[in-house]
Amino acid sequence: MKRLEFQGKELFSSAGIPVPASRLVRVSEPDGTPTDGGTQALHARLLDAVAELTQEAKGPLASLVVKAQLDMGGRGKAGLIQLVRADNGTGQDLASAVVAAAGQILDKGYRIPALLIEEAVDLREELYLSISVDPCAACHVVLASREGGVDIETLAAERPDAIRRLDVDPFRGIQAYQTRGLAYDLGLDKTTARNFASLLTKLYALFTRVDAELVEINPVFVTSGEPELVAGDAKVIIDDNSLYRHTEFPIEREQYDSDAAFEAALEGIPYLQFDGTISLMCAGAGLTTTVFDLVNYEGGSVANYLEFGGPNYNKAQRAMELCLQNKSAVILIVTFGTIARADVMAEGVVNAIRTLKPDRPIVTCIRGTNEEGADRILREAGLEPMYNTEEAVRLAVKLAAGTEARV
Amino acid sequence: MSIFVDETTRVLVQGITGKEGSFWTKHMIEMGTQVIAGVTPGKEGETVEGVPVYHSVARAQRASGEHAADAAMLFVPPRFTKDAVYEALDASIQKIVTIADGIPLHEQIEIRAAARSQGAQVVGGNTSGVISPGKSMLGIFPYWIQRVYKPGRIGIMTRSGSLTNEVTAMIVEQGFGVSTLIGVGGDPVPGTRFAEFLAQFEEDADTDGVVIVGELGGTMEEEVAEAITEGRFTKPLVAFIGGRTAPKGKRMGHAGAIVTGSAGTVLAKAEALTKAGALVADRPSQVGTMLRTRIPETR
Repeated sequence: MKRLEFQGKELFSSAGIPVPASRLVRVSEPDGTPTDGGTQALHARLLDAVAELTQEAKGPLASLVVKAQLDMGGRGKAGLIQLVRADNGTGQDLASAVVAAAGQILDKGYRIPALLIEEAVDLREELYLSISVDPCAACHVVLASREGGVDIETLAAERPDAIRRLDVDPFRGIQAYQTRGLAYDLGLDKTTARNFASLLTKLYALFTRVDAELVEINPVFVTSGEPELVAGDAKVIIDDNSLYRHTEFPIEREQYDSDAAFEAALEGIPYLQFDGTISLMCAGAGLTTTVFDLVNYEGGSVANYLEFGGPNYNKAQRAMELCLQNKSAVILIVTFGTIARADVMAEGVVNAIRTLKPDRPIVTCIRGTNEEGADRILREAGLEPMYNTEEAVRLAVKLAAGTEARV
Repeated sequence: MSIFVDETTRVLVQGITGKEGSFWTKHMIEMGTQVIAGVTPGKEGETVEGVPVYHSVARAQRASGEHAADAAMLFVPPRFTKDAVYEALDASIQKIVTIADGIPLHEQIEIRAAARSQGAQVVGGNTSGVISPGKSMLGIFPYWIQRVYKPGRIGIMTRSGSLTNEVTAMIVEQGFGVSTLIGVGGDPVPGTRFAEFLAQFEEDADTDGVVIVGELGGTMEEEVAEAITEGRFTKPLVAFIGGRTAPKGKRMGHAGAIVTGSAGTVLAKAEALTKAGALVADRPSQVGTMLRTRIPETR
């Protein structure tokens, strides 16, 4: 589960990692409904945020950053992060500038649940720092660089020497000599090195405490003030398998890009939203992914990726409901089950068709344990079962294109 | 011959009295697996399919004496899997299979690290397990589907159960059969990786070639390419890798199946394998025929 920047920064604060002073202004609520009061109320909340930040600032506040809170890389380039200043020439004050920037950001057409209004930090350098896991070496990995603020994957490809790596034994945890050593290897001076080591120790504690897949600070601002190191951004991804012991991270509508995706997540059904014409209702991650490929090879397009195998194999009806929420032209069902018995899946599919009366053709390719039973059930319901995945995909693509009549 | 498990492997089942544990123990025995003991805390003295149940792995091993188990099959929920793996490791069991889907990531790391430190192999989680058709299985395979689980001379390694049935059916259609099929699992941190089984397949006189069923994300397929390039694996190898058209940044089902940046793309994996001399199929239906071009005669 990806946390948005403001949620990541809340976690950083709780771990003792300095973040810039900020206020969150909601555009919509976590359940996806618009925050009360429309544009006027939004403006009022923005003005309040600026007033509070101004009061909190020790000196005069010359500039602020308005940052769209959504799960998307390259927000800066897309104009979703804007630095605003009071303009003495035009007489526009800081608060009006923030309102104007917010308007521009929200007009760009993205689904933005909130804006983070943040104090602009006076920095002299930007660092990169992250912690993740290495599946091969079976350890935790710290990556750090003096060249923060850029895309780390681009940096890794172009100038790998600019990135330093530290492996951490998962049983020992990070040691003081390691954090110190990394700081000095980065060439930081004594004071900054001490602050960096402390920052890394705190970030590591957070990484293990919240069962993170990734914690990343890019950039770490190096300031001339106090605190010297401040987290400019926050990327925190929580391991989905660990969510059962982290009730502080509930599944919320705003994390998903459609109602169907959110409802599927609540049901524990793997679901991805696309904008094509064929709904996939398949069993098993590998098979579903392969059917996704085959649809694309055959010139078709996928409306949604959905798995109803494994523990969900009796959820055919729910799965079909989710598919019907799309504007797809065809539902393509492909399974090759192990524990998920073919006859049970076929029965589920047939019942779902009877109940939901889908308005679009359904292509089935249901195989595996007890597929003879499945064949009988499907034929009795008037369906024509197929047994070759690629043929089933080709038929679905033709049906979606309207070049083949319904079977 | 085969690798990892055969009819001589003595298997202990952890979680044997549970619904899945008892159901699959029955099938494991039916297929020929030597299940010698089961473990469920609090149920010592009971039997499942004639197999004696003990409170702990250590107690089962003591009772079995010189015929102690050399492999453990775990039917244990994901949140207790780490404990069960450690219990097996501490009883000196060197081959452990866990099917659990949902082991926390940090525990996946610890399981692999612990197994490696004592030279043991943990297969899984999030897998169907390991099967040497006709001999023995540690896992939950529909071995009764003859057009998939036919004994033969091809080794198979896979990250996905459902796709394995699809691909293996295509191999069998070409007249081949399976020596040993290993599901390394769909988790980001499998206990044992593709390349770490290659030496065993290389040594196995009854394996003529290997098929790997990979997917986007991670570096396991690249490690196989490296092993071939370095001469650690010299038999014919065909790969099918799902997720060629998957969009960047989307997690395709398995937690490990995600492309970030340039790492983990199917294109990069296919290039590495092709360069090393392996064959890479675009579609499951090509795997069998490709294998046939490298192995014209044998089964």
